[in-house]
Amino acid sequence: MRAEARVAAEAHLAHHFPNLEQQAHAARLGMWLFLATEILLFGGLFVAYGVYRFLYADTFKAASTLIETHWGALNTVVLISSSLTVALAHHEAEHGSMKKAGLLLLVSVAAGAVFLGVKSIEYGHHFHEGHLPGRFYTYAGLQAPGASMFWTLYFLMTGLHGLHVIIGMGVLGLFGVLCLRGKFNEGYSTPVELGGLYWHLVDLIWIFLFPLFYLI
Amino acid sequence: MAMAHVPSAEEERASRRIPTSRYYIVWIALLALTAVTILVARMHLGHGFGLVVALLIALTKGSLVALFFMHLWDHGGANRLVLVTSLFFLCLLLGITLLDNASRFPLTNPPNTETLRWSPPGPDILSPGVGAHGTSSRHEPPREHAPQEQQ
Repeated sequence: MRAEARVAAEAHLAHHFPNLEQQAHAARLGMWLFLATEILLFGGLFVAYGVYRFLYADTFKAASTLIETHWGALNTVVLISSSLTVALAHHEAEHGSMKKAGLLLLVSVAAGAVFLGVKSIEYGHHFHEGHLPGRFYTYAGLQAPGASMFWTLYFLMTGLHGLHVIIGMGVLGLFGVLCLRGKFNEGYSTPVELGGLYWHLVDLIWIFLFPLFYLI
Repeated sequence: MAMAHVPSAEEERASRRIPTSRYYIVWIALLALTAVTILVARMHLGHGFGLVVALLIALTKGSLVALFFMHLWDHGGANRLVLVTSLFFLCLLLGITLLDNASRFPLTNPPNTETLRWSPPGPDILSPGVGAHGTSSRHEPPREHAPQEQQ
C-alpha cells in the first residue's frame, strides 16, 4: 500500500483497535455472525418447506410445474452474474480503483432490479391464476390437500428473499455512490467488502430456492 | 498512533494479490452447474434421487460462492467456524424435525389427522364416570368430560 493511502486509511481507524488489519478482521467476523443469523432465519422456512414437501410430495411436484422454469433460470443467471460484479468491485476497491469499483456496484444494483422485474412478472401471473396461499387459492387445475401450502411457502420464501434483494440493492447502491465520491480508499474498503458479503448470501439462498421450487 | 503490526500467516495469504481470473472461472463454473441442474431435473430421476442430486449441485454452487466470492478460502479461522456452526444447527433443526414426521405412524401425519379424533379401540378408561364397564365404541368422537352418566 502506498504511504499516502495508508495515512488516508488511518483516518477510518477507531481508537479501540490497534491497527486497520485488526479492525477489518473484527468487522468481517461481525458480518459473518450477522450472516449466520440470516441463515437461521431462512433455515426455519427451509425446515417448514422440508416438512410439507415430505407430507405432500406428489402435490408439490404437481404445483411446481405451474412455475415457469425459464424465469427461474434467467433469475439464477442474473443473480450469479451480479455476485461476480460484486466480487470484482471488492477486488477493485481493495486495489485502489474506486471508480471501477463504484461502477461495478451500480451494475450489480441494476442486476438486482432485473431480478425483481422478472419476479414481479412471475408474481403477476400467479396472482392472476389464483396460485395463492391458504383460502385465496382458487386454481381449479390442481385441487389437492397441500396445494395451497406450496404457494404459502413459495411466497414466504421468495418474498423474504426479494426483501433481502431490495435491502441489498440499497446497501450496494449507497456504497457504489460513496466509492464514486471517493469516500473509501485502497487501505479502507471494509464497507464494500461487507456489503458484498450480504449480496453473496442473497445469491447463496437463491441457489437453494431455485431447485427447491422450480425443479421438483 | 498505530502499534507496529506483524502480519499473521492468514493476513499474508489475504494480502496476496488474487488474480481476477479466479472470479471469472468461479462464475463460469456456477453457470455450468446451473445448466447441469436444469438438465438433470428434465431427466426425472425419480422422487428421492432427483432431490438428492439437485441438493448436491446446490451445495457445490453454494460452496463455490462461500469459498471464492465470500473469500472463506483466503480468510479462514473464526469466519469459517461461524458459518459451519450455523449450518450444523440448521442440519440439526431440519434433520430432527423431518425424523419426527418420517418416523410417525403414517395415518397420524397430515392430511390424515382425522385419525387422531377416533376413539381408541377398547374401553374408555380415561373419561371420568366411564369405567372399564363403559360402552365405548370405536368410531365415535371422544366423550365430553362432563359426568353425564351419573344423572
